[in-house]
Amino acid sequence: MIQTQNLTKKYGRTVAVNRLNLTVRQGTVFGLIGENGAGKTTTLSMLATLTVPTFGRAFVNGFEVCKHPHDVRMSIGYMPDAFGVYDDLTVTEYLYFYAECYGIKGALARRRSVDLLEWVNLQNQRKTYVNALSRGMQQRLELARCLMHDPQVLILDEPASGLDPRSRIELRRVLRRLRELGKTMIISSHILNELSEVSDEIGMMRGGELSAVAAVDALLDQTGAYRRLWIQAAAEPESWHRVLANVPQVLEYALRPQGVEMVFSGLEEEQAELLKRLIQSGIAVTHFGEQPTDIESLFLRLTERGVLPHDAG
Amino acid sequence: MMRGNPLLLKEFRQRMRTRRAPLVIMGYFISMALLTFLLLYENVQGQLTLLLPARGEQVFVTLGLLQMAVVVFLTPAFAAGAVSGERERRTLSVLLTTPLSPFTILMGKVLSSSALLLLLVVVTLPLYSLVFLFGAAVPQELVGVFGFQLLTIVLVAAMSVCWSTLALRSGWSTVLSYATVTWMVLITGLFGYGLQYAATRFPIDYFLLNWGQFLLRLNPLWIEAGLAGAVPGHFARDSLWFLGFYGSITVILWVLSSGRLRPQSYAFSARFRHGDEKDFE
Ligand SMILES: Nc1ncnc2c1ncn2[C@@H]1O[C@H](COP(=O)(O)OP(=O)(O)O)[C@@H](O)[C@H]1O
Ligand SMILES: [Mg+2]
Repeated sequence: MIQTQNLTKKYGRTVAVNRLNLTVRQGTVFGLIGENGAGKTTTLSMLATLTVPTFGRAFVNGFEVCKHPHDVRMSIGYMPDAFGVYDDLTVTEYLYFYAECYGIKGALARRRSVDLLEWVNLQNQRKTYVNALSRGMQQRLELARCLMHDPQVLILDEPASGLDPRSRIELRRVLRRLRELGKTMIISSHILNELSEVSDEIGMMRGGELSAVAAVDALLDQTGAYRRLWIQAAAEPESWHRVLANVPQVLEYALRPQGVEMVFSGLEEEQAELLKRLIQSGIAVTHFGEQPTDIESLFLRLTERGVLPHDAG
Repeated sequence: MMRGNPLLLKEFRQRMRTRRAPLVIMGYFISMALLTFLLLYENVQGQLTLLLPARGEQVFVTLGLLQMAVVVFLTPAFAAGAVSGERERRTLSVLLTTPLSPFTILMGKVLSSSALLLLLVVVTLPLYSLVFLFGAAVPQELVGVFGFQLLTIVLVAAMSVCWSTLALRSGWSTVLSYATVTWMVLITGLFGYGLQYAATRFPIDYFLLNWGQFLLRLNPLWIEAGLAGAVPGHFARDSLWFLGFYGSITVILWVLSSGRLRPQSYAFSARFRHGDEKDFE
């Protein structure tokens, strides 16, 4: 379980994390999404006992990060965003070293390292030096390293960054299996699609604040409910406004030089009705079609934010 | 020590794995051996008796001082990147999320970075024994000289590792470590000697004499020369003063470094934070 209460970190005048309240229930996966500089790394490093909060509290696995950092460290596996490796060790020596830091030695360390390397698909690289591994392999080795002491909670900061598409798929497979094992995880990314597949809940950070939280199931339920429509037609802005403002199913729209883009929530019949209305009001529609919706815009929709990028005018 | 410190074991693996380590040791031993024989040979020349103890004493002192200087100036090269290097290679944060205590981390770094130098000193022991055989030194002197060299290495390594923890970059840490060694060897030596010399010119001025002695007692070469019997004085006591002085500096740097590694380990910061929280609510 992870819980934060008004967790705040200031760097001088910069407020990197601002009164963050988030809860990750036992055995669930929380995806933390946000642009660069949103405060994800700072949040995760406070949870990992690396950064001391300016104020507020955080509990990991029931332990307060400032008061019982040792217990927190024993319960977490942390993977920083830009991690390095000790490259003059072999893969096995690498894992043994970290295992020993947690007091795990001998047969248990051997068994864990064999199991985990198999698990992250590095069983043939046991004797390879860490610097001979590709970035994707190092990333998976890091995951294995996080798991050597069998922690309850995993804190993964941008685990997919810097990976090629194939390694990303491999990584997602590993993360899904971790979720099945019942680990509590918090994973950050600046790409929502990376997270939607492995998370139970997604929170969005913006300017150090958690601006929205949504369950992935709820997001996926909405897939059919919201549609992005693209209507191509030459018309005056007033005529667009006159029609669209009176259609309740149009949640949002943005005028473009060639036509209009909108978020539509309604049945097929209502969509047909909209087209009819447009034509009746003298707008010469040359194209009326649906655009693929991505989970990102669903998320924004669900959390009552604008989906469509508006131009200044 | 090694069993309780996984970091030390790992560092030994990494450091001794390189081909450099045995090469450095070999190279050092050979040059010291050559030097010893050269010095001995020079002393033997023109004499029928093999070696006068007084001359042998000179060889012993020369070797001891040279070795001390070399080793003290080499130590930062091994130790100044110990923690900053981990930071730069981005392995430090993971290390800090393990339950290893700052003490274990710093200790692992100090011992691993001074290991090679301690080994250098130990391999030259036979050479000294050779000098010793000629009756140039008494056993206590040999033990004193060696023990003091080993302790000085560990002290310099400890201060360098602390600088490497406190300075964020290896560049700065190297500068600070060499500044420390320069103070220890050159500054205290030159000023101490200079003041003492001035004191002989103005014998009334105890101030100069005291300061001169104060500085010289902080100089490892001076203590080493005294322990080897080259200069008169109470060098057992002086070496304790030396170790006490640099030991205290090391302790202060060590405490600061632990705080740097694990900021939450200090109670006062927790209290401070608590107050902050109240203000906020
Ligand atoms: N050590 C630091 N010193 C000063 N400012 C920092 C530091 N770390 C992060 N910040 C600032 O805090 C904000 C949040 O950064 P970060 O947590 O790294 O965001 P993210 O991981 O979401 O990209 C940024 O504005 C960043 O500049
Ligand atoms: Mg980040």
